[in-house]
Amino acid sequence: MKLWSRINSLLRNLFRKQQVERQLDDELRAYVDMITDERIAAGMPASEARRFALAEFGGIEQVKQTVRDNRAGASLELLWQDARYGLRQFWRNPGFTAMVILTLALSIGANTAIFSIVNALMLKSLPYSHPERMGTIYTRVTGAVASDERHHVNGEQWELLRDEVTSLISAVSGIRASGINLQAGSHVQYIFAGRVSAHYFDVLAIHPILGRNFSDEEDRPHGPKVAILSYGVWHNIFGSNPSVLGQSISLKCEPYTVIGVLPDGVTTPLNAGVYTALQPSHDGEGGGTNFEAITRLRDGATWQEADAEINRAWLHRAHRYELENNPGAQLAYYSVPLQKGQTATLRPQVWTLMLAAGFILLIACANLAGLTLVRVLRRTPEVATRLALGASRWQIQKQLWVENLLLAFVGGAAGVVVGLIALRGLLVLLPERFLPVASVPLDGRVLAFTLLLSLVTSVLFGMLPALVTRRFDLRSAIGNRTATGGDHVRLRQALIVSEIALTAVLLAASGLLIRSLIHLQTLPPGFNPDGVMTARLSLDDARYHDAAAFRKLLSESISAMRRIPGVQQAAVGLSLPYERSLITVGPAINDGKEAGQLITADETYVTPDYFAVLQIPILLGRSFTDGDGPDTQRVAVVNQTLVRKFFHGANPVGRHFFKDTMIVGVVEDVAMAPGIEAVAPITSEPTLYLPAAQTEASLISMAHVWFQPSWIVRTASPVEGLTAQMQRALASVDPNLPFSGFYSMRDLLAKTLATQRVEVALLSAMAGLALLLSAVGIFALVANIVAQKTREIGIRIALGSTVRQAMVHTGGPGVRASLLGLALGLILCAGALRAMRSVLYGVGVYDAPTIGAVVLLLVSVTIIATIVPTLRIAGIDPATTLRDE
Amino acid sequence: MSSKQANLLQGTLDLLILKALGAGELHGLGISRRIEQTTHGAFLVKPGSLFPALHRMEEAGWLSSFWGESENNRRAKFYRLTKAGKDQFEVETEEWTRVALAMTNALKAT
Repeated sequence: MKLWSRINSLLRNLFRKQQVERQLDDELRAYVDMITDERIAAGMPASEARRFALAEFGGIEQVKQTVRDNRAGASLELLWQDARYGLRQFWRNPGFTAMVILTLALSIGANTAIFSIVNALMLKSLPYSHPERMGTIYTRVTGAVASDERHHVNGEQWELLRDEVTSLISAVSGIRASGINLQAGSHVQYIFAGRVSAHYFDVLAIHPILGRNFSDEEDRPHGPKVAILSYGVWHNIFGSNPSVLGQSISLKCEPYTVIGVLPDGVTTPLNAGVYTALQPSHDGEGGGTNFEAITRLRDGATWQEADAEINRAWLHRAHRYELENNPGAQLAYYSVPLQKGQTATLRPQVWTLMLAAGFILLIACANLAGLTLVRVLRRTPEVATRLALGASRWQIQKQLWVENLLLAFVGGAAGVVVGLIALRGLLVLLPERFLPVASVPLDGRVLAFTLLLSLVTSVLFGMLPALVTRRFDLRSAIGNRTATGGDHVRLRQALIVSEIALTAVLLAASGLLIRSLIHLQTLPPGFNPDGVMTARLSLDDARYHDAAAFRKLLSESISAMRRIPGVQQAAVGLSLPYERSLITVGPAINDGKEAGQLITADETYVTPDYFAVLQIPILLGRSFTDGDGPDTQRVAVVNQTLVRKFFHGANPVGRHFFKDTMIVGVVEDVAMAPGIEAVAPITSEPTLYLPAAQTEASLISMAHVWFQPSWIVRTASPVEGLTAQMQRALASVDPNLPFSGFYSMRDLLAKTLATQRVEVALLSAMAGLALLLSAVGIFALVANIVAQKTREIGIRIALGSTVRQAMVHTGGPGVRASLLGLALGLILCAGALRAMRSVLYGVGVYDAPTIGAVVLLLVSVTIIATIVPTLRIAGIDPATTLRDE
Repeated sequence: MSSKQANLLQGTLDLLILKALGAGELHGLGISRRIEQTTHGAFLVKPGSLFPALHRMEEAGWLSSFWGESENNRRAKFYRLTKAGKDQFEVETEEWTRVALAMTNALKAT
């Protein structure tokens, strides 16, 4: 009742103000009239009675005002008045308003975009029930070679984890989803397939909407071939037909029975379209660390118990690969939250970006503080007038805060829009399946963050001007129409010093990343990447598990491609330069003084013309020939790094390793993505090339689960419709094998350096933004000095100063602040940039060209931002300015 | 008379207005006169305090108002107690009695 009555009056006061006012007027007039009547009745003359009544009443207007002040919503109305006044002010200063809102929109937008990624990767709970009970396992190795990270596990570890760690529900999966062909009816569709063990969906707490999860029987090696469809595949390919359950579908040209369909909107760490049973074994695939483990804590168990069980189970294995080549090292295993495990590799980059975004915000605040400060000083006469008319200091302050909040909110709203656009652009820039999350939403938390940011910004840039008005001296303000102490110029200079310092750090950081990227992109590739087209396809296909069928496919398809007009040579390789490749661990050298030495190297099969197509120089011995077949001497070609690392640089041609395989040639190193040790995004690792024709069936079926081989052709000049012709050539051999993609070598390089490119693009964008904001800051400072000193400059010129001298005199404070900021920034760089060491390649932290470029860039921007506003000085006519006073 | 006039304690005015309206509806001047009468001239409520209080109490839902005719046929705004106003009167009376008793006792104590 009471609340309702209040709301009612509030609404009436706000929206039917005229009526409320008229009634108040009537009521008070009736009061006066009634007193007048009383007096007249008591015998007083009419006119005197009225005067008496009015006198007794006191001031009618004052009474009215007291009633108004006590009304519900009175403070709201005052706020509204302030806001309206503020809006009028903004409207009258469109330049200032646009500058502030643009600055806010850009800085808050950048922060919103980056924060939504932080949110999606680290803050938002995983989309599973009780995500805090989900984990993965880290391996801590202490010793000569120390590490502390998530390891993939092998078959033995998996069996121990499954059978002996009872506090956890555990599951493993293949390391990533791989592209395969799904044949539905007459057409073949290329989709991503994930291979998961039994209980994988139990760990994720996902229950199929149709059918069931994989059973333990289905997850045994050589068990039945069964598949679970994602909702998307079920909906798009099978038309949401429930009778698909129990039906046979063709995956990789093999029949699989559909046993379940996942619910709409669920995702898994693999993010695949179809799931098949992993059927992990002890050897083969399970002989290496090719599985990724996820766990869920059982009810009543604790992580401590689980970790103790894992350590007990895993430490007593006969073969602990973690300790290889690391004598005296110690091992420990521990669980970490799944989210942390999934995003560990991206965290440093994301935090760096968030830090850079924070810098942008600080720079923006410094700029805005400078701008609002000037505006407040320009409004000195107005503020003085209001104070003189009886406004309280609090009222003036409130007005300023209301205006700042208004700007912050408008800027914040614009920031959300900019952030949304920036985020879309950013996600387009990222390579496909780069982020381990299905989507990056702009959710409530991001919006709350933006709101908070707007408020903080408003406080930060509103504080300074508000402080200035608190020290406002009414007398001097009234007396002096353009009150400007030297104080505030020094304050703004300090702001610019800090802006430029932060900008210098950002510029230097992005400069180092650019240098790094240039270094990586211009590394000698070791082959000729021009004129090569590559096409990839999934050979994870039942028909090609047989070595003879595989050989036939290769030789026939290569012949068909050679017949394409313009194609000079064609070949097939399991992996290509710039890519990661299969790693072989442990074949031993059989003879010579290195006998017994184990080799760890990248391994790839290639057809005879592979080296010719890519023009990889043969340094010693020979390349493969058609004569190297399944029934002849097993041969291998190695690269120089392998020779250096395992043969002490001696000529290895004629030497044998692993079951009598003879090394017949040595080739130049090629640039490739690291597989063994991630020292740099592009590196040269020891590499073993094996003839495709000698590849064993077991390796063929296993390698093709993880890798898609590439068909490569070299053309002398660009051939029109080359990719279509390649597809046709392949179709003439097997019409059911679609290429999954066509890439030039440049595309492959770009793909491998995607992370670096994204880093460079993002940080450069930030640095550019910072530079722009700083330039605006200097410009505004100098422009303001010019405006305020017009009269002084006029006098100077009248007294004989040249325009140039006057320009130097006015531009001085801006240039001095900027140079000081630059010096400070370089000192900051010395400390801050050391944190970047791990992401720099081929360039030191203290890189003279980078620092030189930063200095040059900042100095030129400073000069431009200073000169442009001082050009107005040339237009100052001493006579006019002096007369103007 | 004004020298004898007591200062209105905070909250006292509300109680006096509620009491004045207890006997029936009145317009502003009527309330003022009734308070003057019942306090034997001790309290003279000026329009500057009366009207803000009336509007505040109306917004609080204790009073309701309507336009009617005064005794000399003038259009005037009349106030009357609502149900909430009557409750409020009870509460405030009790409160006042308690305070008054406590004050009296305190002053009598030696």
